[in-house]
Amino acid sequence: MSIENPVPDNEFERLAALKRYNILDTLPDHAFDDATKLVSYICGVPIAHISFIDESRQWFKSEIGIGVSEVPREISFCKYTILESEMVEINDTFLNERLKDDPNVTGGFKVRFYAGVPLTTPDGFNIGTICAIDHVTKTLDENQRNALSIIAKHVINQLEIQTKNIELAAQKKIAERAVFAKDSFLANMSHEIRTPLNAIIGFTDLLAQTELDETQRDYIDSVQIAGENLLLIVNDILDLSKIESGNLAIDSEPFNLKKTLKHVYNLLKVKVPKEVEFNLFLDADMPETVVGDQVRLNQILVNLIGNALKFTHDGEVTVSVKKVEETEDHYSLRFSVKDTGIGIPEDKLKTIFERFTQAEESTTRRFGGTGLGLNIVKQLVELQNAQIQVKSKEGRGSEFFFILNYKKASAIVAPVKPLSKNELGNLKILLCEDNILNQKLVRSVIQNFGFELDIAENGEEGIELLSQNKYDLILMDLQMPVKDGYQTTEYIRNEMNLNIPIIAMTAHSLVGEQERCYKVGMNAYVPKPFKQAVLLKTIKTVMSQDLEQEKKRIIDFSILDEMACDDPNFRKEMINLFIEKIPAQTEQLAEAFKNNEHDTVKKMAHNMKSSLDIFMLSDLTNCLSIIEDEAARGEFTSETPDKLNILKCGIEETVKILKEL
Amino acid sequence: MRIVLAEDNDILRKSLSFFLESKGFTVDQFSDGKDALEAIEKNNYDLVLTDINMPGISGMEITQHVRETINSDVPIIILTSSGVEQTELDSFDIGANEFIAKPISPAVLLVRINKLLKIKA
Repeated sequence: MSIENPVPDNEFERLAALKRYNILDTLPDHAFDDATKLVSYICGVPIAHISFIDESRQWFKSEIGIGVSEVPREISFCKYTILESEMVEINDTFLNERLKDDPNVTGGFKVRFYAGVPLTTPDGFNIGTICAIDHVTKTLDENQRNALSIIAKHVINQLEIQTKNIELAAQKKIAERAVFAKDSFLANMSHEIRTPLNAIIGFTDLLAQTELDETQRDYIDSVQIAGENLLLIVNDILDLSKIESGNLAIDSEPFNLKKTLKHVYNLLKVKVPKEVEFNLFLDADMPETVVGDQVRLNQILVNLIGNALKFTHDGEVTVSVKKVEETEDHYSLRFSVKDTGIGIPEDKLKTIFERFTQAEESTTRRFGGTGLGLNIVKQLVELQNAQIQVKSKEGRGSEFFFILNYKKASAIVAPVKPLSKNELGNLKILLCEDNILNQKLVRSVIQNFGFELDIAENGEEGIELLSQNKYDLILMDLQMPVKDGYQTTEYIRNEMNLNIPIIAMTAHSLVGEQERCYKVGMNAYVPKPFKQAVLLKTIKTVMSQDLEQEKKRIIDFSILDEMACDDPNFRKEMINLFIEKIPAQTEQLAEAFKNNEHDTVKKMAHNMKSSLDIFMLSDLTNCLSIIEDEAARGEFTSETPDKLNILKCGIEETVKILKEL
Repeated sequence: MRIVLAEDNDILRKSLSFFLESKGFTVDQFSDGKDALEAIEKNNYDLVLTDINMPGISGMEITQHVRETINSDVPIIILTSSGVEQTELDSFDIGANEFIAKPISPAVLLVRINKLLKIKA
């Protein structure tokens, strides 16, 4: 007997549809096994299966009473079922012309009853079947037939869902990659934009200092404003991408709160129109100095006050700070920015902190702004473990407020001695920078200051120049070809053993970068685009530290002499002990700091203080106190490496003087 | 008059004992709190001069031990560079007689010792 092997008309498309589901040869699956069991229960049959038919075989996704995973397509009953659009029910195979001599009827599976429903995809292809089979004759009632059809539909739905899930997972991966790409694109773009912007703002600054007629001055003013606005936007975007990628860290450094608030007030006062009264109310018992993130507080307030001023045409804008709680080591301060401006409609109060939403669509057109400000403010407040809140009535005004917790400042911050430009004399400065525009800009600025400048294209060249000439100061770009700023500084500090002041200049302003700069031994950090005043101030700061060290130290021996009761031998013995022990202890202290051993640093700094006391080196004892405090808090800021540096130089100098006695 | 001095900083300890010996005291000096305490248990001192932060046993623990375990009322002066008020309060609380913050002025130290020992300068 020749075996019939009928093929559906749309076989090619049918096979393609089957392949799409990626179901063939997959592992058993509960969802399908449950459906098969259901078929067996409902129809009361010992054999049931869900199968798919490809070019050559019938493959069982799930089966009861069959015991094989596939059979050749030729011997499958279902090859007929997939030709149909309805259920095929054969009540007695012995009476069926096509099947009565089939080997699985006469023997094999001994099929006497067969009911099969084609599994039809949503686009109409019969890719397989769901079947009920028995060894005795049988007739399904209407409910059983219905149930079988419904289960068939569920099986196809199950297949669809699985396929969609796989697709979704793939799409999710693509989306995640896209977000990551977007973030790094934003960060990189912002960086790339900041670099030329640095040149634009810097040169405009320089141009504004030349002699100009009124029209030119007006043009330059406009360029300056546009440049600064552009910088604000770029900074906003950079901040957001940093916040999103979790790269924005909140600083914990002592800062003068009152000064910061007054600075913000003065900065914004110039923008206040005549009709608006601008007030700053400070609580009388507000602390002078707190430990926290000054830059971010500044940013939050400038943003909120800027908004308040923008939306207030008459009336007042009031900034107030109140101490709401004080514990042994913390202050809780309530910051509020209140205005009598246009206010925010109630239904918009929830969304104003979202990105690119201002209360009215038209607001952007009328008032400008990136639509990122409040979102950044919210995130910056939340990063400091607080919540920003808003109260507002349309037409009456708004109040934005938040409560920040600040640690109390314990360390005394040594004030930097002010130094006027001419006190610095004629400095010879080395700039390591690869960008030609920035080279030109820094050259003009430095010449404006009245200093001399040499330029190296990269770190390697810088090191060469440094070994040939004597410089007072190095300005160091971080990203350079051949040898970058970090490698160059490490070389200067460790190989050349020079303690020449180094100021990092960078457009990155990424988290940890500043710490890394201090760690490799740089003395200060100026973000690009830099303001001339900031650069000059930084130069003064590092040079005054240097000058202070250069100033010949006078050692006060009065305590030692008192202890020695004027015995010159004992005095000498103690001096020798100092020379022998203290430099080594300083080294050990630096080493322990490098290894981040808080406990060792704390103990050593504490112990060393007593030695320095005898020689009345109170400035260096102060350094040790600050280092000890930071170690005790279990957290080093840039202060510790800074003070370590001062300590090291101070000890070196003291030992030198002691040896010369 | 016999003084026991516990201070782990070499330079300070040597200076203090030289100074006190020059002023006529006998000084037994220790850089470790444990050694100092052993000496106190074995000998009869007229005064104890101790730093707080030391390896082994702290000055606070020495004071406590002298008062509670040995039951001695020998005058005790605590030296410390801690500027924390609580440390000073704690020192008196556990029975110290004087508390001197570093940096130590030798003249002041001498006056306090003399006062405790009721010596007329």
